Amino acid sequence: MNALAGAIQLIGGLALAPLLPGSIQALKARLQGRRGPSPLQPYRELRRLWGKSLVDPQPTTLLYRLAPCLVAAAMILSLFLVPIAGLSPNWPLGNDAIVLVGLFAFARFALAASSWDTGSGFGLMGSSRDLTLSVFAEALLVLALILAALPVGSTDLVAMSSAANGSAAWSQPAHWCAAGAFGLVVLFETGRQPIDNPDTHLELTMIHEGPLLEYAGRDLALLQWSAAARHWIILVLAAELYLPHWGGFGARLACLVGGVALICVTLAFTETAQAKMRILRAPALLAGGCLLALVGLISWLVS
Amino acid sequence: MSVLESIALLGATLLVVGTVFPAISRNPTVALTLQAAGIALIGSGGALVLFGAPLIGAEFRSSLDPALGIDGLTGFFLATLALVAVPALIFSRDYLAGVKRSRALVALCGLFLISLVGVVVARDPSLFLASWELMTLVPATAILVRRSDATVRRAVYVYLAVTHLGGVGVWICVLALAHYGALDNPAALAAHGSALQAFIIAAAIVGFGTKAGLMPLHSWLPRAHPVAPSHISALMSGVMIKVALYGLIRVLFEWAAPPPLWVGFVILGLGLLSSLGGVLYALMQRDLKRLLAFSSIENVGIVALGLGASILFSSQGDTTWAAIAFAAALLHIVNHAVFKTLLFLVAGAFERAAGSLDLDQIGGLLRRMPWTGGAFLVGSMAIAGVPPLNGFASEWLTLQALIHVALGPSLGIGVAGAVGAAALAATAALAVFCFVKVVGLVLLGPARRVEVETAVEAPPATRGALVFLAGCCVALGAIPGLLIPSLMELAPQPRTLANGPGLAIPGTGSLPSPWLLFGLLALTGLLWRLRGSKRSAPVPSWACGQRIEPSLSWRSAGFTKPLRLTLEAVFRPQREIVAIREHGQLQSLRYRSEIPHLFDTLLYRPIQRGALRGALIARRLQSGSVRAYAAYLLALLLALLVLARIGAIG
Repeated sequence: MNALAGAIQLIGGLALAPLLPGSIQALKARLQGRRGPSPLQPYRELRRLWGKSLVDPQPTTLLYRLAPCLVAAAMILSLFLVPIAGLSPNWPLGNDAIVLVGLFAFARFALAASSWDTGSGFGLMGSSRDLTLSVFAEALLVLALILAALPVGSTDLVAMSSAANGSAAWSQPAHWCAAGAFGLVVLFETGRQPIDNPDTHLELTMIHEGPLLEYAGRDLALLQWSAAARHWIILVLAAELYLPHWGGFGARLACLVGGVALICVTLAFTETAQAKMRILRAPALLAGGCLLALVGLISWLVS
Repeated sequence: MSVLESIALLGATLLVVGTVFPAISRNPTVALTLQAAGIALIGSGGALVLFGAPLIGAEFRSSLDPALGIDGLTGFFLATLALVAVPALIFSRDYLAGVKRSRALVALCGLFLISLVGVVVARDPSLFLASWELMTLVPATAILVRRSDATVRRAVYVYLAVTHLGGVGVWICVLALAHYGALDNPAALAAHGSALQAFIIAAAIVGFGTKAGLMPLHSWLPRAHPVAPSHISALMSGVMIKVALYGLIRVLFEWAAPPPLWVGFVILGLGLLSSLGGVLYALMQRDLKRLLAFSSIENVGIVALGLGASILFSSQGDTTWAAIAFAAALLHIVNHAVFKTLLFLVAGAFERAAGSLDLDQIGGLLRRMPWTGGAFLVGSMAIAGVPPLNGFASEWLTLQALIHVALGPSLGIGVAGAVGAAALAATAALAVFCFVKVVGLVLLGPARRVEVETAVEAPPATRGALVFLAGCCVALGAIPGLLIPSLMELAPQPRTLANGPGLAIPGTGSLPSPWLLFGLLALTGLLWRLRGSKRSAPVPSWACGQRIEPSLSWRSAGFTKPLRLTLEAVFRPQREIVAIREHGQLQSLRYRSEIPHLFDTLLYRPIQRGALRGALIARRLQSGSVRAYAAYLLALLLALLVLARIGAIG
């Protein structure tokens, strides 16, 4: 079982991750009455980019060229931390939730530094917005993780995932609050509407696309894969900790697949129904999530 | 005399000889080498005691006979001091070359180190307070020896005024503890009731908190640290404010222990305010050294969060986590000492090379100074708290402690822990924001000043000192677990925890830091190979087809604008736009924006105004007439007689 979970962690994360943004885009196109690209479009993009030559904006340093590798390395390490159906083989990396937060911060640092290196206004605009929102999102993420850690008293993701197994967790109001709060984290980390619009390259609105603008070829392929991997990690985490699942490994695996699919469908619906909000309104939304999480914590502590 | 005592004494002798040496010789190298050797010996003695060697010297005593000694906690601070003082001394040799009055600065640096060592090894009140005052005065002198223009004199004046007003708390607290005999027998205080204990703890928080730079008592720190010579700034930020925390730890966890629950809340609250407030103001600074000074306030706040969590745990009887939180605070103390010293030293090297510390006017130094710049990059990543460096290890442990406070059964404590954890997470994100800005503006992008084009790499000795400190950031990040058991032994109720090089703490998913470092390096290398060395085409960065002119390049204010707009209610920025028109045509625009330091405008200024008004009233009493003074004396005498008569005194 453990070996299977480990294989899904690694192979699933590496190979299936691009399917998530691809299928969200395809479903969204259908909902909007277009034919749209196939769910496999991200793979074609990656193959096309892999064969292309690189671009080297002047003046840049080694840091600019290393950044895509650093970001992708942080994402690959994160893949090992997130359990699949409540299981994770004993990788020497542990399964701590806060380490995952740290690896995401590492990727953010590397990408923002790369946009300073080019000095291009678009990259810096995107990173400064990303870093501003990350202040609120990181506080929200930690609060949501605290709520998920309450029943087991541990930030070990495997233990937290087991605590969310079955229906007992859902009798606690704290769990509902946690699910709501983490929903906002999903919106931010995957760069989806109403916080960011993944379809646009219009500089006035973009957040996550901005720092990618100067990259080409394999560098861009690595960064696009990293964006897809971020979808995978956050969606699997959401399904493992904050969506219902029951039973043994097989049943939970089915629940996981269903949960991730459900979030993809929800994201496609939200993007169709909801316009992007003003960037300066997003912190208020995330801070509202923090309050929701605190209410959840209080409900747990008084009961 | 044991071997350990001889090592410590030899170190002390060398340090003293190195300090007086500039009086007899012009050569700073010998003096600095003697000082470095001395502090290294003292530090290694301290480290040996920390890792289990028997205590050296005397125990604490409440009488005023001078006594010295080294126990585990002192050993920890001595080792930390030595770890950063040796590179700072090596750095100062090249830094002071050609500087006026460099001999005086060398001697003062030695005296500063003696006073820092003195505070932590003092075992009686008289020596403690004497070293404490010396520790405040010596850096002030060093600042004035180096520069003495009006702004600097003003900064030093504020520094001395605030630290002395606050420092009264230290005197009250230490002398009261000595009076009740609590320095050698903590149980003595308990006999006198909780009101006395509360009074002493409050005095300690004000006194040591002022010196440590805890908000809202921090006003002197961002003024004094930037104007000092770089190696003195490094020692002030890296060690001096930690020595203030040493005093606070002694009072809270030893002399006035166990502290009541409210102390835990107060320390946690001060830590929360300092960490968030410090990093928010750091983010808005344009001057590199001032930014680093504000970031010191942030890091002292993080240490306070750990200490507060430890008190909350002990009040709930959870001694294991109390010891872990205590160790987290100490780990952050040594980590911050290392990277803040590194950053201040590099700031000095950059000031030499680029002729400015204005963040908006440097740019592109990494290409010209790869070693110094690389060390600065490592230090910035460490202070930003990103894995796998040392800042992440201690912030991870502190955050875990706060999370476990939040998981506890009691409502008030739980909510305080959750708010603290969320604040620490936001602080970490803000620190990433802040130091990406610094790295970008100083190291990366195009050069924004002609001096940068001709900047030369620092001399080899300086380079070696900086690379050593950067190496410490990596090493302490990779193997924090080797330190943790010794640090947990220093907690009031020591607990042991089996630990490898990583942090395998029960109740967490563990932080296997060596593997994290190895994984990141190996995967980055692998991906770098995969990416291949395809020919890449050099192109200008994209700006919609225009050339990126210097006037188009991004600055500090632009990068932080989204946050400034979001938190407008907190920052209250002031903007002034003046349009100059002639004949109805716009001729030019003048734009000025400023972020006032709200603690200055809303807290310190009213106090200052009130004090001045009080002084005016008091001045009326000073008429200068002998008859009036005779009348005052008579009135005082009569008042005393009346009081004695009715039995109020005597």
